[in-house]
Amino acid sequence: MKGHRNSVTRMALAPYSVWALLFILVPLVFVAYYAFTDNNMHFTLDNIIKFFTAKSTVTGDNGETLQVRTYMVIFWRSVKLAVISTIVCLLMGYPIAYIIARARPKVQKTIITLIMIPMWMNFLIRTYAWMTILQDTGLLNNFLANLHLGRMHIIGTESAVVIGMVYDYLPYMILPIYSIMAKLDTRLLEAAHDLGCNNLSTLRRVVFPLSLPGVVSGVTMVLIPSISTFYISQKLGNGKFFLIGDAIEGQYVANNLHFAAAIAFILMVILLIAMALMKRYTDSRVAGGV
Amino acid sequence: MKMKPAAKVYTALIFLFLFAPIAILLVFSFNETKSLSVFSEFSVKWYRELFKDEETLRALQNTLVLAVTASIISTAMGTAAAVGIHRLRRKYLRTAYDTVTNIPMMNPDIITGISLMLMFVFVGRLFGLSTSLSFWTMLIAHITFCLPYVILQVLPKLQQMDPSLPEAAMDLGCTPVRAFFRVEVPEILPGIITGLMMAFTLSLDDFVISYFTQGNGFQTLPIRIYNMTKKTVTPKMYALATIIFFAILALLLLTNLVDEDDSRRMKEARTAKRAAKGKKPRGDSNKRGMAIVGAILGITIILIAAIGITRPKPVELNVYNWGEYISDGSEDTLDTIKAFEDWYLEEYGYPVKVNYETYASNEDMYAKLKSGAVSYDLVIPSDYMIARMAAEDMLVPLNYANIPNYQYISESFRGLYYDPDDTYTVPYTYGVVGVIYDANQVDEEDIGTWDLLWNEKYAGNILQFNNSRDAFATAIYRAGNDVNSSDHAVWDDALQMLAEQHPLVKSYVMDEIYNMMESGEAAIASYYAGDYFTMIDAQSDAVDLQFYYPEPTNFFVDAMCIPKGCQHQELAEIFINFMLSEEPAVANAEYIYYASPNSLVYENEDYIEEMGEETMEILYRFTDEFSDMFNQYAYRNLDQETLDYVNTLWETLKIS
Repeated sequence: MKGHRNSVTRMALAPYSVWALLFILVPLVFVAYYAFTDNNMHFTLDNIIKFFTAKSTVTGDNGETLQVRTYMVIFWRSVKLAVISTIVCLLMGYPIAYIIARARPKVQKTIITLIMIPMWMNFLIRTYAWMTILQDTGLLNNFLANLHLGRMHIIGTESAVVIGMVYDYLPYMILPIYSIMAKLDTRLLEAAHDLGCNNLSTLRRVVFPLSLPGVVSGVTMVLIPSISTFYISQKLGNGKFFLIGDAIEGQYVANNLHFAAAIAFILMVILLIAMALMKRYTDSRVAGGV
Repeated sequence: MKMKPAAKVYTALIFLFLFAPIAILLVFSFNETKSLSVFSEFSVKWYRELFKDEETLRALQNTLVLAVTASIISTAMGTAAAVGIHRLRRKYLRTAYDTVTNIPMMNPDIITGISLMLMFVFVGRLFGLSTSLSFWTMLIAHITFCLPYVILQVLPKLQQMDPSLPEAAMDLGCTPVRAFFRVEVPEILPGIITGLMMAFTLSLDDFVISYFTQGNGFQTLPIRIYNMTKKTVTPKMYALATIIFFAILALLLLTNLVDEDDSRRMKEARTAKRAAKGKKPRGDSNKRGMAIVGAILGITIILIAAIGITRPKPVELNVYNWGEYISDGSEDTLDTIKAFEDWYLEEYGYPVKVNYETYASNEDMYAKLKSGAVSYDLVIPSDYMIARMAAEDMLVPLNYANIPNYQYISESFRGLYYDPDDTYTVPYTYGVVGVIYDANQVDEEDIGTWDLLWNEKYAGNILQFNNSRDAFATAIYRAGNDVNSSDHAVWDDALQMLAEQHPLVKSYVMDEIYNMMESGEAAIASYYAGDYFTMIDAQSDAVDLQFYYPEPTNFFVDAMCIPKGCQHQELAEIFINFMLSEEPAVANAEYIYYASPNSLVYENEDYIEEMGEETMEILYRFTDEFSDMFNQYAYRNLDQETLDYVNTLWETLKIS
């Protein structure tokens, strides 16, 4: 019986194992290989060193000239915008997930489906439409002007890029949190009330700790794509600043494959370390909380 | 539980946020002009155009075929894998599989895309393939990034299942396989369906991974849209988005009507005790999921049948051109590609199929060709890129005997620097870079030179090119230096000027220029002469766009040439010849709005009348003196060292 079981397991796993080896693991080896070689495929550390040391001279806010590390500036701006977008997504998405999870089942289904609909329409086009909304002479500003609220300059700023990211990735925050909340045992909430918790402390002490796995999934699913996007920054940032995705794409188009691979490699290593740390932290929280 | 008013308001606000851009697309899909910022007049013409546009429909079909295939394969493989992983008893194996499964989710798209591309290209070179990227590499890429989502949907369902169920079935005489299909599959079906839907959705919406792994003969909708980046995104795409939106909405309403099975599911939800670490709501209902999946499959099959992927096409010609750079039959123009196919069938008695694909920039095209990822029979690069490709032995000498219509190419466009002996090229269009300004915002006394783009009076109203070569050129022309210099000082100087200009610049643009200039969002921009007329056609009433040529400025030629590794040289030459004949050449010139080097075009009376006097004057002002001006001011191929240097400077500009 046992041997039989093992052979079934092996058979079921075989295609995926081969696939994962060939198309998940080996390609990563290629990124590393290209990152550590030059155009003649000779070993070099130059690409990696260039990422950390390349300097540019820029003019500061007060007209002074500054020496900055080019890719460090780009990298930290990407991290900053991605983190802000993730926080905004969480703040916007968590309440809506909670609201949906407590609505009638029929309403739940409808709302979830409506949230997913935009994902079926091409994101390039949807981002494009945001330009029309956010422009200085766009819909939002015309609306504000009609209410005599003055105009806001949004397009071309970091805020516009954050809006674009939040828009594109909000569903990825809502859905995993909702899916955990929908399964929460309502008796737990009732018990918390009976034991004297008010709504807020129920939320803080019962609901939030239990929903943490969903929050972790959501944060991952928003943070990862927003750190590496290159279309949103081009369109809504008015092309005024580079994010790390723009830098990689720019090097690819300029036919510097090895340097593009080096940036990708470094980004990958940093993200894997960050994710491992986050996993360790939340694992201990979840294990302690439940 | 009933929703509280505050909750209702909040939900409504979230939906306003999620659906605002879709409403914009909906409204502007009914716009008469191509603008996405100025609504001129109601019209349904883009819907008509959409259904006539075979290339876009094919891209839609490709997108669906890819999404359906990738999601089905990844669901099958992922479900099997989940079953296998679930049964693993050794802890370290379990951890290993979990880690590997997480990699594509933890890695940004751009890394997944680049890593696969590097591998495919390397393997392609190893085996000496002429093309290493194709439908298959894209399919592999899509399956790869969909797999973990399927596994992570199915695995929790397996964990929720009572492990004694399949054992009981086997004790009762079921074979393991039979037990799996009769007992386990029904239990985990919601997870499988959710996984399938997720895979389908992700594949449908993917742009980044497709961008890096796409190859010959297979372009999806997102790629096609991205490549429209030099010209405008055609409103046909808004019409398509609107149709997709209503199709899904109708589908959902339908399935909502069909299922009334709420109470059972509610009970089910309550009893599901484990908080699975799923990414999405568990399958809402099997029936509904099935209905949606079924409908998608049905629509895809109908589309495939309608567009006829299976029609036998013995000879295929692979053409690679800029996005929106050929007359495609919209707005009652000539569908050049179709006209060629029809003409060829009549002339030679057997059919030819043109695979027409697009790229976003010279560099984009070069990177793809150079890596050996793709192979084409015909490309249409610009002058400096032709020089580079010729120098790197990437072009095939043309047999001009197959191109008799070459005689109509004016003398001004022969023997230009990039092809001094007329060996490799036949010019397609040409143009001059000029300055476009809104006369309602800009004073007459400020115009005339490049200084307008640096004029502080118009701070925040100026647009600059979002590609390094053109942007640096505006500064270098302004300083009176050589745009092809390899002297770093010239480029440093230009960077200095661009950095001074940076605070005045509203936006660095390519195709965004259209909406911004048409709506008065910006007042000053420099761009390619012909595109000015596209903007005039769509400008809002408050805007009065005008145009002038600063001196000196950029002169460019885009020419047809045949890259090494082409499969059908003679056919490509016949195609070139056809493109030079009167009707297609005129249609292309009218569609693209750039000047034509072909005397059959600029001497054609209908064309002259259609363009109008002012347009003809601006477009063709330099025809006679073109070769002198061109050889003096056009871009040349920069050496790799200078290119890298310029690229670094460009990054510097973008971090300030």
